[in-house]
Amino acid sequence: MSTIDELNDMRTKALTEIAAAGDGASLETVRVAYLGKKGELTAILRGLGSLSAQERPIVGKTSNEVRQELEAALDGRRRDLEHVELEAKVSADAVDVTLPGRGRVPGREHLIEMITRQVVEVFIGLGYRIVEGPQVELDYYNFTALNHPPAHPARAATDTFYVRDLEAGDARTTGESDVLLRTHTSPVQVRVMENEEPPIYVLAPGKVFRRDIADPSHLPQFTQVEGLVVDEGITFGDLKGTLDYFCKEMFGHDRKTRFRPHFFPFTEPSAEVDVSCGICGGDGCRFCKYTGWLEILGCGMVDPNVFGYVDIDTERFSGFAFGMGVERIAALKYNIPDLRMLVEGDMRFLRQF
Amino acid sequence: MRISLKWMKTLLDIDMSIDELKDRLDLTGTAVETVITIGEALDGVVVGQIVAKESHPDADKLWVTTVDVGSDALLTIVCGAQNFETGDKVPVATVGSTLPNGMEIKKAKLRGVVSMGMNCSAAELGMGSDQSGLLILPPDAPVGVPFAEYKDLTDTVLELEITPNRPDCLSVVGMAREMAAVLGTTFEIPSGFPDETGEPIADSLRVDILDPELCSRYTARLIRNVKIGPSPDWLVERIVALGQRPVNNVVDITNYVMFELGQPLHAFDAATLGRDSEGVSHIIVRRAGAGERLTTLDGQDRPLDPGMLIIADPNGPVGLAGVMGGENTEVSEETVDIILEAASFDQVVTSHTSRSLALISEASMRFERGVDPMGCIAAQNRAAQLMAEYCGGLVAPGLVDVCPEPIQDRSLELRRSRVNRMLGTQLPAQDIETVLRALGLGVEVHDGDDSFSVDIPSFRPDLTREIDLIEEVLRVWGMDRVPSTLPGGRERIGGLDSGQRWRERIAATMRAAGLNETITYAFVDPGDLGRLSWELDDGELLVELLNPMSEEQAVLRRTLAPGLLRAVSYNQRRGVENVHLYELGRVFSTSEGRKLPRERDVVAGLLAGRWHAPTWHDPRSKDKGVDAALRGPQLNFFDGKGIVEILLEDLGISRWSTRSADVPWLQPGRAAEIVVRGQSVGWLGEVHPRVLEQFEAQAPVVMFELQLAALIKAAVAIRPSTDVPRFPAISFDVALVVDEAVTAESVEQSLSKAGGKLLESVRLFDVYRGAGIPEGKKSLAFALSYRAEDRTLTDEEVRPAHDRAIRKVSASLGAELRS
Repeated sequence: MSTIDELNDMRTKALTEIAAAGDGASLETVRVAYLGKKGELTAILRGLGSLSAQERPIVGKTSNEVRQELEAALDGRRRDLEHVELEAKVSADAVDVTLPGRGRVPGREHLIEMITRQVVEVFIGLGYRIVEGPQVELDYYNFTALNHPPAHPARAATDTFYVRDLEAGDARTTGESDVLLRTHTSPVQVRVMENEEPPIYVLAPGKVFRRDIADPSHLPQFTQVEGLVVDEGITFGDLKGTLDYFCKEMFGHDRKTRFRPHFFPFTEPSAEVDVSCGICGGDGCRFCKYTGWLEILGCGMVDPNVFGYVDIDTERFSGFAFGMGVERIAALKYNIPDLRMLVEGDMRFLRQF
Repeated sequence: MRISLKWMKTLLDIDMSIDELKDRLDLTGTAVETVITIGEALDGVVVGQIVAKESHPDADKLWVTTVDVGSDALLTIVCGAQNFETGDKVPVATVGSTLPNGMEIKKAKLRGVVSMGMNCSAAELGMGSDQSGLLILPPDAPVGVPFAEYKDLTDTVLELEITPNRPDCLSVVGMAREMAAVLGTTFEIPSGFPDETGEPIADSLRVDILDPELCSRYTARLIRNVKIGPSPDWLVERIVALGQRPVNNVVDITNYVMFELGQPLHAFDAATLGRDSEGVSHIIVRRAGAGERLTTLDGQDRPLDPGMLIIADPNGPVGLAGVMGGENTEVSEETVDIILEAASFDQVVTSHTSRSLALISEASMRFERGVDPMGCIAAQNRAAQLMAEYCGGLVAPGLVDVCPEPIQDRSLELRRSRVNRMLGTQLPAQDIETVLRALGLGVEVHDGDDSFSVDIPSFRPDLTREIDLIEEVLRVWGMDRVPSTLPGGRERIGGLDSGQRWRERIAATMRAAGLNETITYAFVDPGDLGRLSWELDDGELLVELLNPMSEEQAVLRRTLAPGLLRAVSYNQRRGVENVHLYELGRVFSTSEGRKLPRERDVVAGLLAGRWHAPTWHDPRSKDKGVDAALRGPQLNFFDGKGIVEILLEDLGISRWSTRSADVPWLQPGRAAEIVVRGQSVGWLGEVHPRVLEQFEAQAPVVMFELQLAALIKAAVAIRPSTDVPRFPAISFDVALVVDEAVTAESVEQSLSKAGGKLLESVRLFDVYRGAGIPEGKKSLAFALSYRAEDRTLTDEEVRPAHDRAIRKVSASLGAELRS
């Protein structure tokens, strides 16, 4: 048999074996058997030197052709086998996709802080700055400078928490005190007006305290957001427009607002603001006690007497102030049945919002 | 304050539905709190006629009556009253009705006779106190007609919220004036003047006001020879509608006139009043003396103090001024002559008297808010006229009127430009004038429509400034008509300041780390610090409440720890074992000489139990048993520390360390201080089991509390970028065996220092104790990573320097290289 015939037989045999190789390992065996250092084709190539000058170029050329052909066939078969193996692996990796996932669970913001932040965001959009004040206050800031008469009932020890005054003097011995836990965020108004010149556009969120026994609708500690604007040319219409906008942002653009005249010592004219009931749309239902309206906040034009305490010229400047209870908004918006849930720290409650 | 629409309609026309009226009142500042329909309570009570009356076969005092109530069948009703005859018409409560006193009428067997309803007395129908017998109706009463309809008892009562600045609205006439103004109609003021007869009052009564600053006016009338008895039905009906229990004609009239005109009145039995040396009845208005007492009309014996104003006679107190009369001078069945008081007492003193005795009456409620001193005379005349008419009294000529300071007329200027500038409107003068006149104010227009001079009547003490008038204009003209605008201020800049932004970021990081925000009370138990074994700094004091709600809430918190530990306990008691909380809150402390305390904000985090309930992902461990394996590791010190690390990294704080510390409420050895730039900013650790026991919480509980201001001060807002490495790093692992006392941090620092410029990072990846490691030692394994900015490092280049560094560190720390 000529070497050429030998090569052709080898090619046929090798291609058959390559096609028959069932996995990577047997394919490698085939490769080694023909193309390895001791492989059949390698042996022929090595033997080229012993061939005649006439035969050598032909056998050499054919050997290279066979080698290239076998390498191509090996590559092709290898890719096929890899594909099959990958398919098998992928199919073996299938999972029950309905099994729960795995993730680090982030914590939640407290409902009250969340609503406070939402309120803050609305007013930042309207160009307000955020200010804070002390939670332990002086009677002067909490009542007097807010135009509360000396005998105002809110000053009573039944309504307001008083704090022991440690400044030397009579107060120390008698236990009487003009230091108290602020009953509203309004004293921040006075502190801001004392320290800043108009224009003033500020929002003051914070904790306040009143001597109410904790029950489903009262807490002795709750959260208010106070707003104050003092500038030239501020009108009651500006107050209405501002709070209209706020209520729509906070409760939804389909909600209506209503201003009812009211009385507060530190604003005049004063109003309470209702927003139309979100449950019945204003027709009246159990949620809004059949009025169609939910009371949301109190507001008014800054009383001239208050400006008097902080030396702001009432002929040049006017202003408005408003205040709202965040817990009340929470109760209305999220249907909280018992406000005490807000201070208990029950994980099952905190993780709802 | 209640008003009866039926009564109101006698003074003005109200041509609108209740809903419309309610809206109009709501939108003009008189909030309607409730609407009560009277007459409904008498559903099922009809006019009946007694057609037969027989003695009960088995009871002496009972009658068996046969009653026609206009239906097909006659009713048999057993009845205990004695004041009726066959043919009388009476109110009959049929089976199924409920009386105002709550009694449900059912079919009942009374001593063997079935009774199908009840014949009623006036008292049973809530119409006064007469329960002596059946209420006998006139012969023309139509049988079968509902009793409420027959008696015209149906009425609508509105419960109104009157704001403290509007004392004038605490009367029927005052509300009629207000309603006329807001409804755009007119109203009538009921008035009366009695026929006078006999000796003038001046000869029989002397009044002295000893504290004129507390009593601006005191008037009295003398009415002789009154016959005490029940009041007429119409009067009873009106005061009952307003919530007043009828007593007798004299007392009812004083209440009636108070409701009608807003002036509280009081009637003394003239015979019981003490006399002066000349034998004249003598009323003295003065402060109570220390130790004096008075038994008030409600039968309570009450101690008085000099802060209270009283009405006295020469023998002592006879009444609490403006609050309640005394039992000693009470009008009774035997009373013949009465002295009627109408006065004006100071708001503050009335409030003090009423509140310190916890005695709030219709009178005190009105005086506390202010009663028009000009109203005394009209009220006297109106009451005297009614007493003449309904008590048969003879009104003595004249009245005693002690009025130390004459009441001044007042007027205010109002500028139209100011109204419009304040409201954002363009109201013409005419609109403003119309509103003011409708409210009963006198108006004079000046300066071609641009300003007004407004006369303020004495019943509007709240109107003292221009702004008060602007409010009235707005209120009545209509808040809803003011166009909504937004302020156009030029120099305003909104936003959070940097501290507020950091605060939000800290909160966000706490949540990202898995903690849930909570809020706890600022007031805590004074014993809480003791439970924590927390010691205050020298001179530091807790902030004490003078009037706490309870002893458990008597001081302001110095740390958030107690509140959060209680929250853990709250959760654990409810079966919630895994608790992850944070609070951003304020803590308080003070010291001698301080008026206001120090307030500081802190952030505290707390972990209890495990990170999560078992999941199918959790690794199983064969040796610890299925349960333990499924539940995952309990949270410990390092879970807390991990959060602190995340937080400080997020704040850009790089120079910080953890220092082992002795923190009394934390478990020794698992307690640390967090030190930023050499300063302690807070603590971290596992809460001591002894402390947990005090707060009824189960271990493990990991907590930290950091000072917000210190964190924010150290936070770095802008961190300049550094190049991302372009060449690969080369890394060597090394395990050093050191004494237990040598901290990981110190080894890491030594390695960092010794490693040279190419050392990029030192990462601890294993801590090992046990086989192969001597007792009292531990093996710390670090990965040291070397990198150059400009080339790929080779083993040959780095190895010698690395080996030198390790030898140096081992020598300095007494460490051995673990092979």
